[in-house]
Amino acid sequence: MKKTAILLATGLMMAVMPSCSDSDLDIENGNSLNTSNFWKTEEDAEKGLVAVYNMFYRQGTWTRNIYTQLNGMADDGVSYAGWSELAEYSKFIFTDYNFSEFNTKSYKEHYIAVNRANQVLDHIDAIPFANEKHRLDLKAQAQFLRAFYYYYLTNIWENIPVCLKTSSASDYPEQGNPDRMFTLIEDDLKQAIHNLPLTRPETEYGRPTRGAAYALLAKTYAQHKKWDEAAECLYWIIEGDGKGLYDLVEDYGDNFRESTENNRESLYEIQFSMAMGTIGFDGTDNYSSPNAQLGTQIEINQSPSGIGWNNIEANRWLVEWFKREKTVDGKNDPRLYYTLFYREAAEDFPDNDNCVYKWEEWNEGWGNRVFIRKYSTDTHVNDIYYWNGNNFRSLRLADMLLLYAEVINETDGPTTKAVDYIDRVRGRAGLPKLENSTYYNKTAITASPDAFRNHIKVERALELACECVRWFDLKRWGIDANTLAELKTRDADFNNFVIGKSIRVPLPQTDVDNNPNLSQNPNY
Amino acid sequence: MKSRLLLLLVCLVFMPGLTVALNVSGIVTDEANDPIVGASVICKGTSVGTATDIDGRFTLDVPESGAKIQVSYVGMLPLELPVQPEMKIVMKENTNDLDEVVVIGYGTVKKKDVLGSITTVKDKDLQDRTSGNILESMRGLTSGVKITNSGQAGSSPSMVIRGLGSLTNNTPLFIIDGAYAGNELGVNVEDIESIQVLKDASSAAIYGSRAANGVVIIKTKSGRSGGLKVKFDTQIQLNWLPRYDLMDAETYKLYDDRAYDEAILAGVAGVTNRQDHYKANTDWQDEMLRTGLLQNYNVALSGGNDNLNFYTSFNYLNDKGAMKYTGFEKYGFRVNTAGKKGIFSYGENLYYTYSKTKVLNGIGNVWSNFISMPPTIPVRDPEHGSGFGYGDSNHANSYGLNPVAMQELENRVNKQEYLFGNIYGQVEYPEWARAKVNVAYKTYNGTTDKLRKTGSWTMGQGDDAADISWNESRYHDILIEQTYEFFHKFGGHDINVLAGMSYNHFTSNDKGISRQNPAMSGDHYLTEIDAATGTVTGSGSYGEYSLISYFGRINYSYGDRYLVQLTGRRDGTSKLPNQRRWGNFFSGSLGWRISQEKFFDVDWVDDLKIRANYGSLGNSNIGNWDYVATLNSGPRAVFGTGETVAIGTTQSRLVNTDLVWEKKTTLNVGLDFTTLNSRLRFTADYFQSKSKDLLVYLPILMSTGNEGGAPAVNAGSLSNRGVEFELSWNDRAGDFSYSASLNLSHVKNRVDDLGYGQTAYLTSTSKSEIGQSLGMWYMYKMLGIFQSQEEINSYKNADGKVIQPNALPGDIKYDDYNGDGQISSEDRQIVGNPWPKLEMGFNFSASWRGIDFALNSYGRFGQEVYNGAAYAAGDFQNNQNNFNGIVPWTQEHPVNDRPRIVYGDSRNTRGDQDRWLEDGSFFRISDITLGYSLPTRAIRKIGLEKVRFAVTGKNLVTFTKYSGLDPEFADGGIWTIGYDGCSFPNPRAVQFAVSLTF
Repeated sequence: MKKTAILLATGLMMAVMPSCSDSDLDIENGNSLNTSNFWKTEEDAEKGLVAVYNMFYRQGTWTRNIYTQLNGMADDGVSYAGWSELAEYSKFIFTDYNFSEFNTKSYKEHYIAVNRANQVLDHIDAIPFANEKHRLDLKAQAQFLRAFYYYYLTNIWENIPVCLKTSSASDYPEQGNPDRMFTLIEDDLKQAIHNLPLTRPETEYGRPTRGAAYALLAKTYAQHKKWDEAAECLYWIIEGDGKGLYDLVEDYGDNFRESTENNRESLYEIQFSMAMGTIGFDGTDNYSSPNAQLGTQIEINQSPSGIGWNNIEANRWLVEWFKREKTVDGKNDPRLYYTLFYREAAEDFPDNDNCVYKWEEWNEGWGNRVFIRKYSTDTHVNDIYYWNGNNFRSLRLADMLLLYAEVINETDGPTTKAVDYIDRVRGRAGLPKLENSTYYNKTAITASPDAFRNHIKVERALELACECVRWFDLKRWGIDANTLAELKTRDADFNNFVIGKSIRVPLPQTDVDNNPNLSQNPNY
Repeated sequence: MKSRLLLLLVCLVFMPGLTVALNVSGIVTDEANDPIVGASVICKGTSVGTATDIDGRFTLDVPESGAKIQVSYVGMLPLELPVQPEMKIVMKENTNDLDEVVVIGYGTVKKKDVLGSITTVKDKDLQDRTSGNILESMRGLTSGVKITNSGQAGSSPSMVIRGLGSLTNNTPLFIIDGAYAGNELGVNVEDIESIQVLKDASSAAIYGSRAANGVVIIKTKSGRSGGLKVKFDTQIQLNWLPRYDLMDAETYKLYDDRAYDEAILAGVAGVTNRQDHYKANTDWQDEMLRTGLLQNYNVALSGGNDNLNFYTSFNYLNDKGAMKYTGFEKYGFRVNTAGKKGIFSYGENLYYTYSKTKVLNGIGNVWSNFISMPPTIPVRDPEHGSGFGYGDSNHANSYGLNPVAMQELENRVNKQEYLFGNIYGQVEYPEWARAKVNVAYKTYNGTTDKLRKTGSWTMGQGDDAADISWNESRYHDILIEQTYEFFHKFGGHDINVLAGMSYNHFTSNDKGISRQNPAMSGDHYLTEIDAATGTVTGSGSYGEYSLISYFGRINYSYGDRYLVQLTGRRDGTSKLPNQRRWGNFFSGSLGWRISQEKFFDVDWVDDLKIRANYGSLGNSNIGNWDYVATLNSGPRAVFGTGETVAIGTTQSRLVNTDLVWEKKTTLNVGLDFTTLNSRLRFTADYFQSKSKDLLVYLPILMSTGNEGGAPAVNAGSLSNRGVEFELSWNDRAGDFSYSASLNLSHVKNRVDDLGYGQTAYLTSTSKSEIGQSLGMWYMYKMLGIFQSQEEINSYKNADGKVIQPNALPGDIKYDDYNGDGQISSEDRQIVGNPWPKLEMGFNFSASWRGIDFALNSYGRFGQEVYNGAAYAAGDFQNNQNNFNGIVPWTQEHPVNDRPRIVYGDSRNTRGDQDRWLEDGSFFRISDITLGYSLPTRAIRKIGLEKVRFAVTGKNLVTFTKYSGLDPEFADGGIWTIGYDGCSFPNPRAVQFAVSLTF
């Protein structure tokens, strides 16, 4: 009887118990798409590509860090940042090879961009497209962007890991060297050139055109010392099909104004925008937030203390160099006004407004220091905001013209054509042709390729000051003992420069330590 | 047959007319002749019983045939006495706990039969430990358990049993009244009856995959037969935090000027003159610290009869933290009931808690702000828009964060609610079988309200719009368990077989909304989101997992001498990929009670047992969908003159799709020994464990472009070996009784294998290499200070190359480990071991008449720890403050242990050098309590049973050479286990307690 009762009770209890099966363990993640149902449609490919463009808006890339590091290492810029490690990093004092702001953040974010591009390139060929040209265009954009990031990675760190496929967690990529990396960049760009359009509609500004790819390729070839190949690219831009597409803008200042973005001088611009509104202090570098900032901090990064972060400023020699020559109508070089803020600016440019900040007198505490004006906006009334929407002119025609002159000089010597291109750039600034210059001696300059190259160094220094191209120029020209001695006279940072070592930044130590295929750069 | 008799007896009892009852009355007292209130008095073999009243008296009508009565009371030896009309019963305290019941998961065993390594903490040990947190209250009470607290009001400490077994999660499984819980549950310490810590595989095996880090089983109190018992406890605690000995403005300026002079002299770029210091003299610690006040009130009502008992309690805790702008307030409410009817028994436990925590601004760390903020900066500065002082390039070139401004400009409040309960039913066929169903449910609702006002707290901060945000997080966790138990004794055999299954399902939801530009009324922000006018952003996601388990256990003993236990469990989890979901875990244990053998005829040994066990446990304690590669659809980019925002999608976080169960195999050999009339007890355990396929979020290369967290991976294996000893003594002499216990443990771990085929994993300060312990310090080594240019010039390698040509006198001389004539990354070397060589705890308690005394202490010895505060001070490199009494190198004071101070130069302050390592050994007296109970006789007239006053000092005495704030800190994670990154220190406190029992 008792047993019956117990059985009954037990049976009842079992009835209370829900039955379980293995299928109770099948729980889908409904929060987000997973990779197995993506990369199926044209739209997926487009979105994958947008994610690569998104990498422009990161602290380690073009939101801020790159400006401090590239201008700081070059002789035109110097950092007196209050964060002393940040300043040291731009002065060839690399104490901590894992320094968070640059060797962790910037390096990593460049590789994130590469991996995002790799994802597009790995999948796009298998996606059905209604219009084959559209596929090729998207693919070419991804190739351009991958090349773009590798261009910076290679020029900064040189012997970097080679990642050409979508990463997996267990990857130990092999180590490249500049020759190998430049070749890979060239391969990507040569392919991209074929499939990129000559022009894009206004709504598509920000995506590369054929001219952008030629420009980046020309710069890569130049770094690679492949002068003939570089010349071909520059020919296309300046004399070939690109001739009708690009021209110098009349007003040098238009290259740095928000109101004159995407003008005829630009071959490629990084599109910044305040479309996300005033998302603040931490509204950047958030990899998964749809509300992350799309603006740039270039302005606050380079503004002096009290106004901005004072992370990067210019060296005084730029002012002196600009003032060595007057324009044909006897005034100071307008490029000086648009490039720098400095104490005597108001006297040097009596016709111009806002020689300092719009709302601010020159602070005597700043003394003879020189601050970067390029990309600063005139729109703010009494304070600069954390962000602005001013596009960064990554590739512009003046750079190409001067590079063309340099490339011609390397192959054919200082020809008239080479001089003409220099004069074209000088002319836009209102300066006389070289032959009429009151300061430079054209005959001496064109006496030898070496002399001409030395002059190009001057022209590039002034035209492209503080635009993040100077450090790579210095690398291309090489830094030997003589050059180093000269650089030291202009920029004390070079006192820390060690030949055979400082020409490249140390690789992030944690990546070296944990990748058996990667060795630290020499002498670090 | 027996049960029919029982039934008959029951019938007889309820038919009083049929027999003649004998009226018995008496008094029950303890040895001190104080009456015992609420002792249970039962007529043996019947259900006739009662409890003693407030005077210790009872009356009982016993059937004449009832020859004996049984008297029992918690903590006292039970008595069985022949019935007499007038009885005077004296109970003796039970000092022998061998018959004490130990909870082992889905069942209990007597302590003498325990085969695993289990430590029990009883309510008595916890009575003065009112911290509102169970873990905090367990510090130092058991061996092999490391508990570290972050010290912040309302925060939860972490607990690790027997070293690191896993690399993802080392938190043990918490089971409260048979239901899975988390240590975050603020169970009232007063409500706890016992805590068992199951440390080895055999003890924990029944919990299979959930138990790889050990199990903590908490049993809350239940009522006892007898009248209503009311217990009221209150504690008031004053607490304060240790402080850094930082320079005041006057001293700071002296040193900072010297650092600038040095920079000018050494040609540090851009430094041309000293700072024009701000004029303030701010003690940032004074601004942020205060004496905290913690108040705790607990009322418990309990009672019942033989068939039904209940325990309910209400708790209120208010902790006005010792850090300004923090606070913690908690309400807890508990109802436990249990009862039986015939062969059925049932019960429920229900616990609800609501807490409100004022938390610090989420950015930065206040303790490092104390160091990084120059004392010259004023707290408030009308020159700044926000009204707060902070760095300025001319007056104090510092990016230090003003901690006061951070709290005043950002207010955050967490409100959390837990409801936690279970209900069970059981049928039992006496001496044969029982079946039980247990359903446990846990739900959580937490919100964080945040208001960010406009204004800066540091130099160069953007002028952001104000915003208000509201985040909510909820979860539901249901557990259904069913167990069947068969047990029988025959001859010398005692067998117990348990089988069961459990189903656990968890769902969670997170939502958040924030909006810029909240409306204002004067200078006061309105928190209504609708009233704000700015951009709205929202977020949300959900989580879900389930776990199905089948388990069984056989316990067998013969003649009370030979003990065997076999356990098996099969677990299926949704957190692993389809084909790899199920894991099987087995363990077996053997025990031999030598003292029960006939040949073992040693009078002075009360009990001697040796035991051994071997078993495996699993772990799948990772994210819900770590094996699924998901896409990130957050990225945006802008195109065209119209600045159209386009939506991007990409895979940001890489995954490993082939994840499997992590398995940990443990061998444990132990000895239990009781002697000298149960006064001396000794337990020793040796264990070794090996974890395979460790699940870990192992950081991967940056060149993979991975972001959003390292992917989970089955990475290699780790061994732990260790010994534990526990020795205790208790005795009494007249009215004086005392007890002392000492526990010691030593654990050593070794990396056997690493993930992704690596032979070593390095962080910027540590190296975990196969064959070595985890997280060994791997850094540059400081040999001393260069005293002169000659010394610099003569510091050469074998080839005669000057190693540090750019050094100046006063700079650190680093070891050129590889001898290549330069200091490079190749010169890093193993410079320290972060693991303690010995951990110990010592507890002592004594009582004499109404006075009681207790002392708890513990220590860890031999570990080298990283003093993050010393590193943060950084020799004025970024104008940080520094500690009083430092003697940096100067020509006049050419010391050899501290370099020159120089602004803007990192060569001597790099983080990856052994200069920041220190001996972290410490011994801490965590609690000293003195209590006094009023004589029972004096108070029982007014209806009181017990009145006790106590005063406790917490963390008042610490012996250590460590120069950081607190040698007991929350570490820097598994790869940098000895890293003290300006951790929140443990508060010091004095507590006053009053406990009343009615």
